Amino acid sequence: MFDKLKNYLALAAAYVRFNVKSQLEYRTAFISQAVAMFINDCAWLAYFIMLFDRFPIVRGWHAPDVATLWAVTAAGFGIGHCLFGNSLALARIITNGELDTWLLYPRALLPHVVLGRMNASSFGDAVFGYVVYFLIVRPDLPHMVLFTSLTFSVALLFLGFSVLTGSLSFYVGNGESLSEGWRNALIAFSTYPTELFDGKVKLLLFTLIPAAFVSGFPVEALQKMSLLHAAYSLGGALTMVTVAVFVFHHGLKRYESGNMVALRG
Amino acid sequence: MSFLKKYWAIAWIAGKSNLAYAGEVGSRMFFLTVILYIFMCLWKTTFANAGATNFAGYTPRDIIWYLAFAECIMMSSPRVTPLIDEDVRTGSIAVQLVRPLSYPLYRLASNFGEQVVKFAVTAVAAFLIALLFAGVPENFVTGFLFALLVLPFAFVLDFLGYLLVGLCAFWFEDTTGLALIYSRLTMIAGGMLLPLELFPEQFQVVLRSLPFAYIVNGPARLFVHPDAEALGMVLVNQIVWIAILGLAAAAVFKKALNRIALNGG
Repeated sequence: MFDKLKNYLALAAAYVRFNVKSQLEYRTAFISQAVAMFINDCAWLAYFIMLFDRFPIVRGWHAPDVATLWAVTAAGFGIGHCLFGNSLALARIITNGELDTWLLYPRALLPHVVLGRMNASSFGDAVFGYVVYFLIVRPDLPHMVLFTSLTFSVALLFLGFSVLTGSLSFYVGNGESLSEGWRNALIAFSTYPTELFDGKVKLLLFTLIPAAFVSGFPVEALQKMSLLHAAYSLGGALTMVTVAVFVFHHGLKRYESGNMVALRG
Repeated sequence: MSFLKKYWAIAWIAGKSNLAYAGEVGSRMFFLTVILYIFMCLWKTTFANAGATNFAGYTPRDIIWYLAFAECIMMSSPRVTPLIDEDVRTGSIAVQLVRPLSYPLYRLASNFGEQVVKFAVTAVAAFLIALLFAGVPENFVTGFLFALLVLPFAFVLDFLGYLLVGLCAFWFEDTTGLALIYSRLTMIAGGMLLPLELFPEQFQVVLRSLPFAYIVNGPARLFVHPDAEALGMVLVNQIVWIAILGLAAAAVFKKALNRIALNGG
């Protein structure tokens, strides 16, 4: 079991090295996309801080709380999709019958597919999250350690969610729009405090659009330095990954080849 | 007249082909519902916390209808930058240039046709959602007619901004980042999420001197608060900005053409 895990971690490390090298071949494009995303996130954060400062949206919420919410969501999304960039394109890959190339590889299929590409703009998200948390919240060491752990838990949840929504293409044909719309809904709900939403919708935020595990519990964990809330967040992420892996493999049985001839360098 | 006929045909075809993508339309509607629901919760809580009945003349109902209209404009904005980027990078712009039509006008016609259809489809759904969340708006018919008068100019203005970004492909490796920043500027500085009247005074002065205000805020504000004087002011500003950006785009396009090198084959 331990050897298997070590084996897959080595595979992940090899993919990351390869992807970084590949991105650096188009250095200008990589940097410009990451910088643009960083600026984009800064603009959103400035706007939200202004909004929360000007209107009494949630009592007791100030700039550091808004910054924490954005930092944990952006860093989680960034890490998840920077390392596992193909998870964002999974719906298209399945629809176009492009899994064939990956099916030929040894080891399990899913890690190969999701690790196969790096998403440049997500790198900007990840950097933004850490810079903002460090500069605006000015955390002490325990907060920084908890923040770092939570960003990886949120990254895991985003990865699982992207795999789950992308796998819908196995069932509905072209699920690209559905997958994108669903992911956008998760991001939209995650960038607002969960306190804004009432009973029935809150149930949705714990299940179909699991924003409670992306920003709800992590922000509360960081505000109260609560390991229990951090554990809830991690629990949600692990559940999401388990469901995603199950749905992907169940859907894989329905996969039809696109008969595409493709080469990967 | 025959000069306009060919561009009308391009706009017609672009509009019709857009109707074919039902999945994308469904995804847009789903995301729109999520966003409007979040805004409704946000403003309901904010008005309750502040104990206010309106902010700068905007009642909760006005804000929901404003946001619904503003979202329709933003969601219907076609992604023209990647198309120009691709034309430049693949060299297919050379094929476009030998056709008996102007490349920028061809893109404008295609963009306009697509945006009109997207706006109409999105508006039907947005109005139904807003009706459900906020009830019937005041001055609906007058507001809608006023907004319809300025919308074509808003679409052209929006296109010119994206055209300028797209033409940067002649100098940059990738324009994705620039397009992202431009789109965020339109959303935030244009008043998509918050009417400009609700921004702090000093920001309002700056934002009203930028073109973004006349792409989103101008039409959306006229829709909820129709006023003849404001209509004239929005139209004048739109025409001035179209002239400025149009001249800038013509100059940049002329300069860009000098960079095209054709090889036979």
